Amino acid sequence: MLLLICLSFSAMALFCLAMEKHRQQVTDKALPQFLSQFFKPLAWLLLVITFYISGKLYGWSIGPAVFFGALTAALLPLILLLTYRAKVVPIVAIVLPLVTCANFILG
Amino acid sequence: MKDTFRQSMKWFHTWVGLVVGWVLFFMFITGSAGYFYKEITHYMEPERPLINHQLSNSELLDKAQQYMSIHASDVQEWDVFLPSRRDTNLQVGWRHAPKEGESRGKYIKQVLDANTGQQVITRATGGGRSLYRMHYSLHYLETRLSYWIVGFCTMLMLLAVITGVVIHKKIFSDFFTFRAKKGLPGWLDSHNVLSVIALPFHFMITYSGLLFFPFIYMALSVSIQTNEPELNELMDEVYPSSAEVTPANIPAKMQSLSSLYEQTKTIWSDDKLELVEIYAANDINAHIRFSRSVTDITYNPSDEIVFNGVTGERISEPERQYTVSAMIHNGFISLHEGQFSVTIVRWLYFFTGLIGAAMIASGLVLWTTKRKPQQMKKPNGPDFGYRLVEQLNIGTIVGLPIAIASYFYGNRLLPIEMANRAEWEIHLLFISWALLLTYPAYRPKAKAWSEQLHLAAAIFIFMPVLNALTTDKHLGITLSHGDWLYAGFDLTMLAIGLTFAFAGFKFNKSQRNKTSQSKSAKTQRSNIKTTVDNELVLNKENSGAL
Repeated sequence: MLLLICLSFSAMALFCLAMEKHRQQVTDKALPQFLSQFFKPLAWLLLVITFYISGKLYGWSIGPAVFFGALTAALLPLILLLTYRAKVVPIVAIVLPLVTCANFILG
Repeated sequence: MKDTFRQSMKWFHTWVGLVVGWVLFFMFITGSAGYFYKEITHYMEPERPLINHQLSNSELLDKAQQYMSIHASDVQEWDVFLPSRRDTNLQVGWRHAPKEGESRGKYIKQVLDANTGQQVITRATGGGRSLYRMHYSLHYLETRLSYWIVGFCTMLMLLAVITGVVIHKKIFSDFFTFRAKKGLPGWLDSHNVLSVIALPFHFMITYSGLLFFPFIYMALSVSIQTNEPELNELMDEVYPSSAEVTPANIPAKMQSLSSLYEQTKTIWSDDKLELVEIYAANDINAHIRFSRSVTDITYNPSDEIVFNGVTGERISEPERQYTVSAMIHNGFISLHEGQFSVTIVRWLYFFTGLIGAAMIASGLVLWTTKRKPQQMKKPNGPDFGYRLVEQLNIGTIVGLPIAIASYFYGNRLLPIEMANRAEWEIHLLFISWALLLTYPAYRPKAKAWSEQLHLAAAIFIFMPVLNALTTDKHLGITLSHGDWLYAGFDLTMLAIGLTFAFAGFKFNKSQRNKTSQSKSAKTQRSNIKTTVDNELVLNKENSGAL
């Protein structure tokens, strides 16, 4: 479950960084064009993977319902962070899924 | 009528939301609490023993069977509820044969002490069930009438959700936009964000809510277009009934539940037994059904295993025949109730439910915020309608949670021997709500907000203290014993209280800023003009967005 929330968080953060106005919130540096154009497809890919994991973990009946729940749970902190602590969003978006993935694989 | 499609939708969204907003808020709050109704009941019966980690299901089953063969020997339907994450006590239940004039007999449910196998006498309480039943039966009203009211509000909610999507101009490009500004833009963004992030939930919960009583809501079409046999056929299709087990009235000795349980373990790979139902107990026709926690949203026949209670043979044909429509119906119902949820998913349901309530609340506040500047300019003060909306907002958004807390207070403080105790707990809830609804009429609105927020903070934070004073199960004991169900309730109350305290603190701070701003503005007249200009510009910007 935590894994799903963290992966959704990163996916949504990528969507968000794909938008010019939010990118400016997060970082002052201008990112190279070729890099940022990958954000959106990458976000979709990550979402599909999350959906797949959800189905695998909870079964294809319950899994999709849990996936949408996880998405909501990830969005609220993401939007709050964007407003109040925008700079940490990329760090959180990278660290959280790594930690939970490691935890999931090892545990 | 309004000129454009979007404008008329906006008009519709605003008024639909306003008219049923408070009822919907009530339904969302009590409904969200309902996701934890078992846990709440557990807390409201503090006589129950703490969790026992040692006993195995086999031992518990035998104890329950022994207890019922003594205390319910003349009854044919027995149930055993095994301790689960949601309810850590062993419970038994049985249904008496119906008396004359009754369609169903009385159902008795008792908590057993897992160590001794004897009944634990608990106080009379409405528990979590009364709280969650309120969200569709509205308590004081006649059942059918409240189903109609609830259905009407739900239908309007569904329309508000759909029109909301239509009028949200930039649902994708403003997906993440939340401007933490005061006043209109801040409230508009909160309303948008709360709506959009949980949109799948809002839609699902509203739509599936309507599917609970389809034969009431579609009464006209169903009864006009079909005759009674056809209607019955339709009902059978949507609500599959189990094959009935009739006792032959020949006594026979049943297998022990624990031996049958051993058999289920070889069939199920995971051990999540929740419920054992016994039909025609101690009769030659006895059937025993073992159910584990559900693994499917629609219906998974392998979640149940049925045995012949006397021979111990497995009856393999499924007891219930689900048609496709029954599967779909059941799927929506179980999505609404979240029956399949493990603990963390249940928390998600709870939080998303609260997001729904917060969405409604922010919409209601948005209505007043938008009209405030205009209303304040009126020579005789704001209109009655505006004042009423503001009063109902304060009395419901902060008042209702306080009222629910008083329900828990009633549970701890009313005398144990009191007649109609369970009813009085609920009376207390509605009396406090009524008081908190009228109170803001006699106070300046900003004061009323602040006072009720602080009252809410105090009453929720004090709940664990009250629990410690009135029972022998305070946080120190429950935590060290590892009874997270019981401790979790206290901790949740504490968290809600702290949230209210934070809200109260923030509210007062913003009020202070406002007064100091207006004071400095008085000395510097030029400033007023710029603020007014800014406001005007802001309003202009937002009248487009709203």
